[in-house]
Amino acid sequence: MALEVSHVVGGYSQIPVLKDISFDVRDGELVGLIGLNGAGKSTTINHVIGLLTPHKGKIMLNGVTIEQDSQAYKQQIAYIPETPVLYQELTLREHLEMTMMAYDLDQTVAWETAHELLKTFRLDNKLDWFPANFSKGMKQKVMIVCAFLTNAKLYIIDEPFLGLDPLAVNDLLNLIEQRKKTGASILMSTHVLDTAQRYCDRFVLLHDGQVKTEGTLSELQAALPEAGESLNDIYLSMTKVDRA
Amino acid sequence: MTGLFQTRLQRHLREMAKYLRLVFNDFFVFALLFFLGGLGLGYSNLLKQLKYGQWWAPVIALMVLVIVVQIGRFATLIEDADRVFLLPKERAMHAYFVSARRYSQGLAQATQVITLFILSPFLSVSMHWTIAQILVLAVVQIILKDAFLRLDLASAYQVTAQRRMNQWWVKWLLAIVILASGLWLTVYAAVILAVILDIAVAVWFHQHWENQQIRWREQIKLEDNRMLGIYRFFNLFTEVPMVSGTIKRRRYLDWLFARIKPQHKQTYLYLFSRGMVRGTEFSGLVVRLTVIGMLLLYFVRGQWLPIILAALFIYLIGFQLLPFFHQYDDIVFSHVYPVASDLRLKSFVTLVTLILSVAALCLWVIVAIANPSLETAGLALLVEVVEVWYLARLYTPQRLARADKNRG
Repeated sequence: MALEVSHVVGGYSQIPVLKDISFDVRDGELVGLIGLNGAGKSTTINHVIGLLTPHKGKIMLNGVTIEQDSQAYKQQIAYIPETPVLYQELTLREHLEMTMMAYDLDQTVAWETAHELLKTFRLDNKLDWFPANFSKGMKQKVMIVCAFLTNAKLYIIDEPFLGLDPLAVNDLLNLIEQRKKTGASILMSTHVLDTAQRYCDRFVLLHDGQVKTEGTLSELQAALPEAGESLNDIYLSMTKVDRA
Repeated sequence: MTGLFQTRLQRHLREMAKYLRLVFNDFFVFALLFFLGGLGLGYSNLLKQLKYGQWWAPVIALMVLVIVVQIGRFATLIEDADRVFLLPKERAMHAYFVSARRYSQGLAQATQVITLFILSPFLSVSMHWTIAQILVLAVVQIILKDAFLRLDLASAYQVTAQRRMNQWWVKWLLAIVILASGLWLTVYAAVILAVILDIAVAVWFHQHWENQQIRWREQIKLEDNRMLGIYRFFNLFTEVPMVSGTIKRRRYLDWLFARIKPQHKQTYLYLFSRGMVRGTEFSGLVVRLTVIGMLLLYFVRGQWLPIILAALFIYLIGFQLLPFFHQYDDIVFSHVYPVASDLRLKSFVTLVTLILSVAALCLWVIVAIANPSLETAGLALLVEVVEVWYLARLYTPQRLARADKNRG
């Protein structure tokens, strides 16, 4: 069990956005976090990466919470934000080097991985540029390269498919597949449901700060038999229940 | 639209008042009074020695007036979003711009009047001008400024295709010609020329603006630059969130980072050092303060005064560096990276020690040159070493720890 979120109540202020949510991500699993705008996806992610502290409940990553050992907890996480976040004053090369330093990676090995990743995402000739001046899609690729440089046990990816070109989406999915095989887990939030349906092992459907349903596609289909076949149909019917 | 300008103006004035309160704190007012008093004294002494009929007297008057008439920009207070939201109201924007010009005139005209007031004893002593003549010259100056602001207003529209009416050389040339005629021929010639200019611009603009589009992007950029200038000034006294500084690659300084090895415990030194060198905000501050300190120390002699001044400058630099610690707090990776916070603090202390040592060394060299006494130089060195050590190693971590606790 890589990530265990149990009974978490939390949010940015005293008013909770998340109302008692629980789910888990197992080793070697890709879990899709699905929900409308404002359902609590980003809040959940911010709790998992330790930016927010839960009011109640516990978040455990391979047996440690952030309170017990923040170093050991953070060491296991790599994060790709929805909007790329970069250090204005660092070049692409320096971003990579800084990531290696922060995660205490072996420089020679890490640079080998880095060069491979850079080539895949066609950034290998831009090492001495300031990524802050890149286009949005290219900035996102920098975030991907930085995250997959690490040997994290859990990758947290916030809406990766918007802004990337189709080739890069495909490369990212391959990369995820490859890391899953080595036992890493991925928690990914997205609105692109047909891609999610094809690649995610399980889904957590968030609605209004609560976990509506959770499970594999067939489990979801069984739970909501009249909703329809695809993740899209299930998702829409779930939101309709609430609107009615 | 006039209402919109009034609302914005009120907001703008409230903001300016907020910052001006911070700028004109007790210390600054005190220093300013001294400074103005000194200047006034110097000026009055100068006037006493002045004789009538020097050829250069009108040249100086011309220079002062031509420069001062350029002061006071067209404050439109327009914002970036306006080019989307107010685009359908483009014709109605005219009323807005007219109000903006009226407001811009206030400060600009006051500047002209005050300048003439200051200049009047000079004119009366060196050129034997009467009060009536000086008053007419003030009127010339006011009308000229009025015409210039009209040109600025006209340039907000695409009146003359790609050409601007308010190019800087147009304004300088007009000012030089008209004011020179007033100073060398007769002031009444200048007033007639100024009135003709003002009316010509007004009539011409009145006939043309209605068929023209507004230069939105250019006006927004001009207004942004104007506000940035104001904020930069405030930023000398207090922290202004709108001024963030720019980034320069400065490849020629890359050798500075060679000694920082890519090790885990140096992660933040790696970031801080590059941020400090390539960002203009903090590095500019350090360089400015060091250079000012060096200049000042070069002219200061004595046993204790240079030492105290050098110590003061080091303290000022060290104190101003503190907020740099939080420079990257908005970047999520500063929280996600598995780097312990005490490593971050240690890196920051190393950086502050380095910067202060270099600044202290520069200041000390000047002290030693200006005061060729072994005692002063030795004492200055001792004081500086102790101060840098205290500021960087004890004061900085304590202050940051306390600030952290208060954030809680």
